[in-house]
Amino acid sequence: MPVVELSYSSLQKLIGKASKKQIADSLPFLGLDIESEDKDLVRIEYSPNRPDYSTDFGIALGMQGLLGIKTGAVKLKIKKSKQYSISVKPDVAKVRPFVTGIVAKNGKIDDKTIKQLMAMQEDLHFGIGRKRKKSSIGIHDLDKIQFPLVYTTSDRKHKFTPLNSGKELSIDEILKTTEVGEDYGDLLANSSKMPLILDANKEIVSFPPIINAAVTTVTTKTKNLFVEVTGINKDDAEDMLSVVATILQSAGFSLESVQISGAKNSTPKLAERKMTVSPSLINQTLGLNLNTSKIISSLKKSRLDASAKGKNIVCVIPAYRFDIFGPMDLVEEVALGYGIQNLEPTLSPSQTLGQTNPVSLQLKSLSQTMIGLGYLEALNSSLTSIRVLYEMANREPKTIISVRDSKSQEHTILRDSILPGLLENLSKNIHESYPQKLFETGTVFSSGNPVSEKTSFSGISAHQDANFTEIKSVLQSALKTGFDLEIKTKTTEQPSFEKGHCADVIINGKTIGVIGEINSKIIENYKIRVPVVGFEISLSESILKSL
Amino acid sequence: MLSQVFHDIEKKIIASLKDNPKQTPENLEKSTKLSPDQIRRGIEWLKLKELANVDESKTSIVSLGKNGKESLEKGLPERRLLDLLKTKSKLSDLQKELGPVFGPAMGLARKNNWVEATADNVTLKNPPDVLPGEKSLKQIGEQKLSVEQLEKDDLSGLLRRPYFVVEEVLKAKEISLTDSAKSLNLDASSGGIDVEAAVPATNVARTHPLKDTIDEIREIFVTLGFSEIYGNMTQSSFWNFDALFTPQDHPARELQDTFYLDGISAKKIATPEQIKKVSESHKKNWRYQWDINEARKMVLRTHTTCVTIKHLAEAKPDEARVFSLGRVFRNEKVSYKHLVEFNQIEGVVVGKDANLRNLMGIQREFYKRIGITKIKFWPTFFPYTEPSLQTMVYNDRLGKWVELFGMGIFRPEVTKPLGITKHVLAWGGGIERIAMLKYGLDDVREFYNNNLNWLRSATKCQ
Repeated sequence: MPVVELSYSSLQKLIGKASKKQIADSLPFLGLDIESEDKDLVRIEYSPNRPDYSTDFGIALGMQGLLGIKTGAVKLKIKKSKQYSISVKPDVAKVRPFVTGIVAKNGKIDDKTIKQLMAMQEDLHFGIGRKRKKSSIGIHDLDKIQFPLVYTTSDRKHKFTPLNSGKELSIDEILKTTEVGEDYGDLLANSSKMPLILDANKEIVSFPPIINAAVTTVTTKTKNLFVEVTGINKDDAEDMLSVVATILQSAGFSLESVQISGAKNSTPKLAERKMTVSPSLINQTLGLNLNTSKIISSLKKSRLDASAKGKNIVCVIPAYRFDIFGPMDLVEEVALGYGIQNLEPTLSPSQTLGQTNPVSLQLKSLSQTMIGLGYLEALNSSLTSIRVLYEMANREPKTIISVRDSKSQEHTILRDSILPGLLENLSKNIHESYPQKLFETGTVFSSGNPVSEKTSFSGISAHQDANFTEIKSVLQSALKTGFDLEIKTKTTEQPSFEKGHCADVIINGKTIGVIGEINSKIIENYKIRVPVVGFEISLSESILKSL
Repeated sequence: MLSQVFHDIEKKIIASLKDNPKQTPENLEKSTKLSPDQIRRGIEWLKLKELANVDESKTSIVSLGKNGKESLEKGLPERRLLDLLKTKSKLSDLQKELGPVFGPAMGLARKNNWVEATADNVTLKNPPDVLPGEKSLKQIGEQKLSVEQLEKDDLSGLLRRPYFVVEEVLKAKEISLTDSAKSLNLDASSGGIDVEAAVPATNVARTHPLKDTIDEIREIFVTLGFSEIYGNMTQSSFWNFDALFTPQDHPARELQDTFYLDGISAKKIATPEQIKKVSESHKKNWRYQWDINEARKMVLRTHTTCVTIKHLAEAKPDEARVFSLGRVFRNEKVSYKHLVEFNQIEGVVVGKDANLRNLMGIQREFYKRIGITKIKFWPTFFPYTEPSLQTMVYNDRLGKWVELFGMGIFRPEVTKPLGITKHVLAWGGGIERIAMLKYGLDDVREFYNNNLNWLRSATKCQ
């Protein structure tokens, strides 16, 4: 979840008429988790579906609604202007086909605002921009740009001075030597032509989705902004623009339109949508019995507009609320506006009869028998390592099922056996008192399509007098008591076990596992100082019965 | 109150002291045939129970000297004289026979009036059967004895004679019974044991604490009317993500969050109808090119929701309460609060009463049954539910609200493509978090360390 850092005092200023405590108490009911607080500073986790909450301006809009200070939809006031335009050349179609933009004038920009806008930009890039792949933003100092602009392409030799760099670099150098170039260059890898926004003097304004030109850098002296969004999809680009536009308007800027034309591009409308929802869906879903006016006031508290139309309610949804897909999303908006804290939990009697899975019951019964036999239950991960599963256990891998890019070396492959994990457990407990007796039941995996998942059962006993007779007797009792099954053992050889002290476990003529004294080499390698005996059998085929 | 139960060692010592009220530990060894260590422990126990006194005393110990030993063998000189007089009376004969002891023997005999003597002859007069000193001589014999065990008068003569008796003063422990011990009736306590004594710890064999919590939670679900369903841990991305409205370019699907099985793509993932409808919903709502190969990629399930949604898509029930419970996986760095593999439970409710307040009611009931009563609900976001809530529970030990289960109603974008027409309530979360509360753990890794010391001693605190 993305995190935004802001201060209570600036929130208070933006919201108006709310105490710090009121704000802190209400944040969770907007769906915002307070991650940490330090006096006036607060770090807030917000949901990736609400990018408008990436700045205090956006949070203030939501909070005003919830607290009833200002309700209803936030209207974008965009002055139609012919002064600003971008014409799009057809050659961008193959690399990044869409551009959109807006102008924001006469705002106050201090360091804090710049920091917030940068953070918002990064969150938008990461979330709805899908790491700039779907769409990306450039925010510029309007007064450094000569309109009209052209969105076009060029080759990689084209040179300009990018943001945060003191010198002129070619596009090729930017992609190869700068951090952003390395991070996002892959997005352009399929094209020899690079997208560029040029101004009337052929100066580069932006090299999307990589970097802006240094000349348009926003500073505390900037008064007017030009925002451009490029992307692979027109709607996605306009969605992102709508968030930025809404935030900038809330921050005190006056918006003016940018005319866009050419190559299937057009001027963004950032228009509101209408959506109808029925009160019965709302009441049925929430378990409430709200009348129309209460529903409408709740929707308004969620910063939407709503009005009754016949039996239904028509909502007006501002452009930046593209997280609303359908009527069920409006149901949630009603719940939030109504206040989750006002929803009293109810319990209706179950119309169904509960049942434990019979396999769970059988495994539970087997555990109880093993505990009765003096064995302690162990739990190991299904994801383990080649070291534990094969190297230390002296086993030969057949087909290994591994996971990609694990962050933990101890968890790289799926286990095909439980016993090696129990041996590893013994090695970590050599300073504890003996006898040590452990068992585990769990899933083991083997390759196939689909991957085979079977339930396996293993037990292990370590002490001065541990021997084959003891462990066979334990397994015999466990299977007799729990499943009325008789086992037979037949000499076999397995590298994990001592030669001549190892047997196949056979039930009804079928080999289901192995039992014996653990190979002394393994015990030595694990620095265990007592003999160890153990077994592992598969429960899936002949033992566990499902319904 | 004294416990009237004695160890065998204690019984033997008490019995011996009843016969012989004051004894050194060495004496007790002989009289009870116990080892020095047993005697030492027995005395210690009795002392603690105020049944025995231990006095540090000085004791005169006597043993026979050179002349005493000779007398033990041959008789005291005066005894030898008196015996000779039964057959002989001539002074010179007696002198010759007895040698150097004749003088002292004669002196004693005359002083005690046992003989009458002339210049040449000695005759018996009226000697006693037992001579003074003879009793002590016999008693001492080859031993070292405390003077108190001998008759003082009888010994005193011997003590005055040279090299008859050697006397040494020893510092010794002397054990005796207290008055209350003297009146004990040992027979009455036979068969009992010391029920108040401390005992060593026994290593317990038990269900794993986490498994115990899992069993408890399973039981609660069943008693709330839910039936348990099973599903695989290895799942296609289709069921783990696509069917749950998570777009293919969503960050949660990236390698750094999800474990993909290396080089394994599922051959069969779903019915053609399901694939068609799900992909259409993605294209329409998320605006991208849906790729079936992406949906075929096999993952270790990141939640148990894939099991319940698959079940619902197959069964399409009008009325149901089912749950699935098991391991789920996240590609995380292992730390005190994160594991790569943990247990999750998820329940779903389909039916007339499937509404948000009832979902909250089931939560409240569930938490009540695991012993958590301070709960509240906050809105949250999950890609596949709308509305979505999370439960916050108050942790007394940490003194703060912590997030537990998440819940919501499956989005129509999830249910409709799979042909599920009814509202589906879904809720669930990690079980380790609850088990941590129950066992007062701060480090979730402890559950999978299999540290015997912890497994043998872990106790529930809630």
